Amino acid sequence: MKRKLMEILACPIDKHHPLDLLVLRENEEIIEGLIICPKCKRYYPIIEDIPRMLPDDLRSKEEDLDFFKKWKEKIPSDVLYKGKPFNLTNE
Amino acid sequence: MEDDKVRKVVREGYATIAKQESSSCAPANSCCEGIIAAQDVSKKIGYTDEDLQTVPEGSNLGLGCGNPVALASLREGETVIDLGAGAGFDCFLAARKVGEKGKVIGVDMTPEMIEKARKNAKKGNYTNVEFRLGEIENLPVADNSVDVIISNCVINLSPDKAKVFTEAFRVLKPGGKLMISDVVLLKELPDFIKNNVDAYVGCLSGAIKKDEYLQLIEKAGFQQINVIDDTHFPVELIVNNSTGKTIIEKLNIPSETIKESASSVVSIKVQGIKQD
Repeated sequence: MKRKLMEILACPIDKHHPLDLLVLRENEEIIEGLIICPKCKRYYPIIEDIPRMLPDDLRSKEEDLDFFKKWKEKIPSDVLYKGKPFNLTNE
Repeated sequence: MEDDKVRKVVREGYATIAKQESSSCAPANSCCEGIIAAQDVSKKIGYTDEDLQTVPEGSNLGLGCGNPVALASLREGETVIDLGAGAGFDCFLAARKVGEKGKVIGVDMTPEMIEKARKNAKKGNYTNVEFRLGEIENLPVADNSVDVIISNCVINLSPDKAKVFTEAFRVLKPGGKLMISDVVLLKELPDFIKNNVDAYVGCLSGAIKKDEYLQLIEKAGFQQINVIDDTHFPVELIVNNSTGKTIIEKLNIPSETIKESASSVVSIKVQGIKQD
């Protein structure tokens, strides 16, 4: 994903814009990262360039938590333990 | 069928299609496709040879009912969203039209399709196309940020079409345009088709009546709604494709009945404007 695209991204649930971006791996594009809605506290992982911005019921808890574990050191703890829809507290 | 079940069968159905290597001659339960090669289907619905040659191999799955008119009207610098982008065929054609200053964003809820689209974008070296895994009923896009929304034979698959149009209206800039093609009905299909899972994935049972479809667009707030093309869905694309065949075989329906139902299926191209 290109950083420029953050300009038009919004949270699919509450439509909040702009969203926060945490870059985890990058070359000329963002390969892995986390998009966070500051309003509803939902996070959306970027995996292999692609932002995954599905509503809660189409997401995979397992995939989301695996992503958290992989990047645990770099993700702020309020996202790790309070982020929606799945976090390491309610695992 | 319940909404959740619909979403599940559609996602699974298109995941299977995405995994098939080549679309040519690969029978699949898919919209407008089947034993006829993707390219032949695409030419029949109005894409040019040039269109077909300039996109990366594998991006045209032959699943659309055609939106070349919408693509032709795009201008340089515009921001375009493709609802249900699939393997990216229309996105790549749109990307050529809007150029480096413009951008095209393809949204699809099937991870396997998005993966395929991403690889195709790399293959074709597109720098102004991006894909999002997302749902067209819940677009991950900011209000008033898009010039044109395109969608090609996809909205019929949504169990909540009203929400798709409301979302499209929300993300368009004032003056922005909705330019879509889709399958609609002139009269209701018999229940045995409406309740069939394969027919849903094949863009048949999810389709609603044309007047109802246009009313949903109007209710979402669009003005100057204009049906620019209205063609009977070629009967052979229904009875010869795997969706038609599956239905006929599974339910033991006389092909005459299928042909009669096919005559009530039309493909339309519709435009609407979000007035300033």
